[in-house]
Amino acid sequence: MDREDLELFERGLDHATGSWTGSALDDALVELGWGEALAAERQAAVATLFELQGRANATSSALAAVVRDGLGVGNECGIVMPWFGNCIAPGVISGDHVLVRGIASSTMVNASTTLVVGAAGEEHVGVVIKTQELSIRPLAGLDPSLGLVEITGDARSVDQTSVDWSAAVRRGQLAMSHELIGTSRAMLEMACEHALERVQFGVPISSFQAIRHRLAETLVAIETAQAMLGEAWEDDDPQTTAMAKALAGRAGRTTARHCQQVLAGIGFTLEHRFHHYFRRALVLDELFGSARVLTRELGQQLIHTRQLPPVLPL
Amino acid sequence: MDLTQFRTGFALWLDEHAAELAPQFAGAGTLPQQVEQNRKVMRLAFDADWMRWGWPERVGGLGGSPLMRACLGEELNARDLVESSFASLHEVLAPTMIDFAPPELAAEMVPRLLRGDENWCQGFSEPATGSNLGSLSCRSTRTDDGWLVNGQKVWTSLAQFAQRCVLLTRSGTVESAHRGITALFVDMDSPGITVRPIESMHGTAEFAEVFFDDVLVPFERTLGDEGQGWAVAMDLLPYERSTALWHRAAFLRQRLQEVLHDANGDQLDPVRVGEVTMQLYAFRARSRATQHRFDAGDKLGAETSIDKVLVSTAEQAVFDFAQESFATRIALDDDPISARWRGEYLYSRAATIYGGSAEIQRNIIARRLLNLGSDR
Repeated sequence: MDREDLELFERGLDHATGSWTGSALDDALVELGWGEALAAERQAAVATLFELQGRANATSSALAAVVRDGLGVGNECGIVMPWFGNCIAPGVISGDHVLVRGIASSTMVNASTTLVVGAAGEEHVGVVIKTQELSIRPLAGLDPSLGLVEITGDARSVDQTSVDWSAAVRRGQLAMSHELIGTSRAMLEMACEHALERVQFGVPISSFQAIRHRLAETLVAIETAQAMLGEAWEDDDPQTTAMAKALAGRAGRTTARHCQQVLAGIGFTLEHRFHHYFRRALVLDELFGSARVLTRELGQQLIHTRQLPPVLPL
Repeated sequence: MDLTQFRTGFALWLDEHAAELAPQFAGAGTLPQQVEQNRKVMRLAFDADWMRWGWPERVGGLGGSPLMRACLGEELNARDLVESSFASLHEVLAPTMIDFAPPELAAEMVPRLLRGDENWCQGFSEPATGSNLGSLSCRSTRTDDGWLVNGQKVWTSLAQFAQRCVLLTRSGTVESAHRGITALFVDMDSPGITVRPIESMHGTAEFAEVFFDDVLVPFERTLGDEGQGWAVAMDLLPYERSTALWHRAAFLRQRLQEVLHDANGDQLDPVRVGEVTMQLYAFRARSRATQHRFDAGDKLGAETSIDKVLVSTAEQAVFDFAQESFATRIALDDDPISARWRGEYLYSRAATIYGGSAEIQRNIIARRLLNLGSDR
């Protein structure tokens, strides 16, 4: 895509994510050729869509396509993500059966077949099963509009395929990091807008340093994650990508805390749209490894090897 | 020469001359030893041409991308060959000279700085002028013979070793604020200059007070035009936030690797290790993007306040972690390496104070990047 194409693509996605959500957004993505873009220009496709999706608080099944792309499977099967908080493959393979416990959004598992990745020794194997053999339980929870479902079952393998689970995790982490950053930027915009409009003691509260520094701190957290995310795309390394996801998750939480405080009373009500973003940030942090889990895992690896992760040269 | 050739060639040269380049003292050494070590490394690197790449030919350089300068300092810091806290001063002062000094003055002076023949210092802060640079009052008055300078500077790094000073003076009225400032290039051996080093808690007197008592500075030593001093100061900021910060990232990574290698593994908390590593790597990633923007000719501005917040946060995180890991050594031991850890830990406390305090950076971010308007 040249510059002009990219701008056009971004405008299309901006309009789509701002107008639709769920299966309506999925339809719009098909029309915009987002799937083709994913194949041709992965980073632009993932970065643009997921950041905009975060900004708009919209949902789609695009994550399934991103994960399939990482796994290296082409067909339109359903996808099961790791259970909350970690990146462990959701399946346990025993003979021609796979025991499943994972998470998905409802639109990620609406194909007739589903691919479940399970560990088989050191390797990972993708097991194709009939979706109808899975038990799919809606999880309303903290963020009902995200449409998460719990996937469990003991399903018979129809087919098996070799997959790259590590790449799938990296891609999932990249996508979730972009969505977290988009979510965070939207919260920051709301808080800045409110700070400029809300008048107390005869002046906008944006003139108070306590408010300004919270918002500055928020931008720093977001830009920290964004910088690491750029690096992660470039070197495609598991540790770098995990760091990016951890920082994005942390940025989401930092942003939620500071912006809620600045929005104060109105941000605590359902009358303001802030709460949708607050919920989304917390849940996205847990998908493909939470900041807490990824930080600890990185530390454990480093203590084991006594060697800092490699870096990209200038 | 492209960046890859430079990196490979320079690394090879560093290997070949390792013995010659190595410090002749253990641990941090004394301040004069550190200054001498930095000058030695610069001289050797300049004479072998490495130090000349990335600088314009009109000041004795060999041209090419400034990324080579970033790379050079990165290698020196990663190998612990220079005292990082002031090894990148030339990265701040030489570009200012190139941009604002009369061309023949820049051509004469800049090579001396780059070769380590001279040390220069930066006379900006004053006792009553910390964060509010526009309020400075060190006076410069026009006379028939040149500028007559009277006043005081403070926090002037390495002034006691410096041959020259890039000095901000008040040439207009105090009310003229940032419009009435003129930058001068002053010989430190001029009659009327007194330097008083300040003993700091990290153990060396890196900073100094400088007193100007009827000091005469020729008009040819004016940087930019009269009243253009604010532009000189603002021009210098991006340099302070690009190459020099990249060098610091390499130093911090070297130190964090050292802690990770030398600390007692049973006592390391994985969460802390993960946190500090992420903090440092994110700063490095940010700075790396800034180097490339700078190289592409982008004008660096207020967004570099984020780089500055990140370097100070990363620096304190790395040395907090070092202090936790080597608590006994840092508190009790006096061998050269323990003393070096102690000095560097204490120095890191200033990271949120110097070069624009953490609070000033957040004010800039709020006003310029978040458009939150004035805070007054």
